[in-house]
Amino acid sequence: MASFPTYGPEEIKALNKVAGAVLGVFAAHGYTRHEPAILQPAQLFVDRSGEEIRRRTFELTDPSGRELCLRPDLTIPTCKWQVESGGGYPARLCYHGLAFRHQPGDGEFYQAGAELLGLADRAQGDAEMMALALEALRAAGMGEFSMIVGDLGLFATLVDALDVPAQWRGRLKRHFWRTGYFEALLARMVAGEEQRAAQALHGLKLMELKPAIEALIDREGEAPLGGRTRAEIVERLTVQASDGAAPRLDPAVAELIGAFLKVSGPAEPALEEIRVLTKSVAAKMVKPLAAMTERLHALKAMGVPPERVRFVAHFGRNLEYYTGFVFEFWTRAGEIAGGGRYDTLLETLGAPRGTTAVGCAIRTERLMAAGAG
Amino acid sequence: MSEPLTLAIPSKGRLKEQVDATFAKAGVALVQTAGARGYRATVEGHPGVDVMLLSSSEIAAALADGDVHLGITGEDLIREAAPEPEGRVALLRPLGFGFADVVVAVPRTWIDVSTMADLDDICAAYAHRHKRRLRVATKYAQLTRRFFARAGISDYRIVPSAGATEGAPTAGTAEAIVDITTTGATLRANGLKALDDGVILRSQAQLAMSLAAEWDAEQRAAAATLAARLGAQIANSE
Repeated sequence: MASFPTYGPEEIKALNKVAGAVLGVFAAHGYTRHEPAILQPAQLFVDRSGEEIRRRTFELTDPSGRELCLRPDLTIPTCKWQVESGGGYPARLCYHGLAFRHQPGDGEFYQAGAELLGLADRAQGDAEMMALALEALRAAGMGEFSMIVGDLGLFATLVDALDVPAQWRGRLKRHFWRTGYFEALLARMVAGEEQRAAQALHGLKLMELKPAIEALIDREGEAPLGGRTRAEIVERLTVQASDGAAPRLDPAVAELIGAFLKVSGPAEPALEEIRVLTKSVAAKMVKPLAAMTERLHALKAMGVPPERVRFVAHFGRNLEYYTGFVFEFWTRAGEIAGGGRYDTLLETLGAPRGTTAVGCAIRTERLMAAGAG
Repeated sequence: MSEPLTLAIPSKGRLKEQVDATFAKAGVALVQTAGARGYRATVEGHPGVDVMLLSSSEIAAALADGDVHLGITGEDLIREAAPEPEGRVALLRPLGFGFADVVVAVPRTWIDVSTMADLDDICAAYAHRHKRRLRVATKYAQLTRRFFARAGISDYRIVPSAGATEGAPTAGTAEAIVDITTTGATLRANGLKALDDGVILRSQAQLAMSLAAEWDAEQRAAAATLAARLGAQIANSE
């Protein structure tokens, strides 16, 4: 595709047809269409997406100095609209429009998306979103595709179940998709890490910790706290102190984690592999594994051949807000649709704590290029 | 005769004095060009060389953009202007002055933070607790991005800082900083400490060559002669 395409009448017709089919399915399932502004306050995305997305965002400054951006996705503004509208939950919203990102190839691309917000039953929400994306793709004429599925919750559950120093659980969950970096991280944890502050607290009883930590902070005198509270520092050091002065990761645990993340292949055998691998913590894993099996059954019932569905254990989509089930649809033209659960985003936009969210986005131009419609 | 070789050197400050001293020692004498208000000079005995006196950061940008052939400025500024220097700028010789480390520094009250891995934990916890990203004030946005990416940190955002970066945490405009330090005294005075593995770059003044500039044979010859007097060899500009 050219970098700066101008669509002629035929292409516009084809794109409208594909988008119409997708939006038609969304509407039939009760998703109401929204059209967020293309020009958005940069802050909205910066505070939620981290520096990596920011680097991909087209930023600009208006004459008064306000920092604006071309929306890098439509999910965040759509969710923001829902929170600010004060409307009830669950809410079903959808959109079709351009998103803008610095990236090789196309800097702007059309996507159609649907967001299901605030449905308390996560399994039901996951199933609805997966079925919705599938039906929309089929309505747009896509019969042949393969799928990748994953679940960030599986890995999180595993890390919580295994014998891992408490202070490192977050680190492991955060970096599990970073190939290379993650392996180095595991190796460092096995080698052990000295903790200067925790050493100073070594041997103290739980109730002695807080005053001892406070005293260490006070010793630094007039230094600023830099936006953190003393409570945050006390909390983190208390957790570290509970792991001892020089925590280490059991090599067997590291090996299990490494083996888990390597699992990738046709979904059913892959899940079986995970079951065998995690036998030692089977009681904790049974629920998220059953949820994944359930999804595979649902896909089969919807006519997706099981051999076309791959389960990839380290699949978390390189987008920082996903938290649970994730899926992608692929053709030879590349990824045509993807989505998943992002249960922490709405809270950051001001929704009540624990407001769930699951969504999908469909690359309508790629459907058009793949000859759909 | 072809267009002259252009050499950019610092126009003011300590760096200028040290460049003057280095030139004097190498027997390179600058002659002020009449009427150019001190921003242009020639080199005695090197008729094909045009010297421009610019600010240190302008020199880095000019090297990266190919607006000058040779330049002397801080490696920190060169790497910031040309994050992937291969093919754009070649460092010919460290000159032994203008030493400064580009470091990641945090408030000293963060007694639980001494490494980049700690900072990674803090960034994630901060975003979760405060519903916004931890802010890092710096004028080295490119160096910071690359270094943080290598350390696996993404939950943060850069606040561009034009000056007095070390005061940002006290002023409340950022939580952490990336800045240059020589002795660490300024960091200490502002209640900050550098992280153990937070040295992004050990920088000093460099004689550098722009690979992005247009080079002809005469300019290359002039550059080779001049570089040789400063104890350096020029790079292949193809």
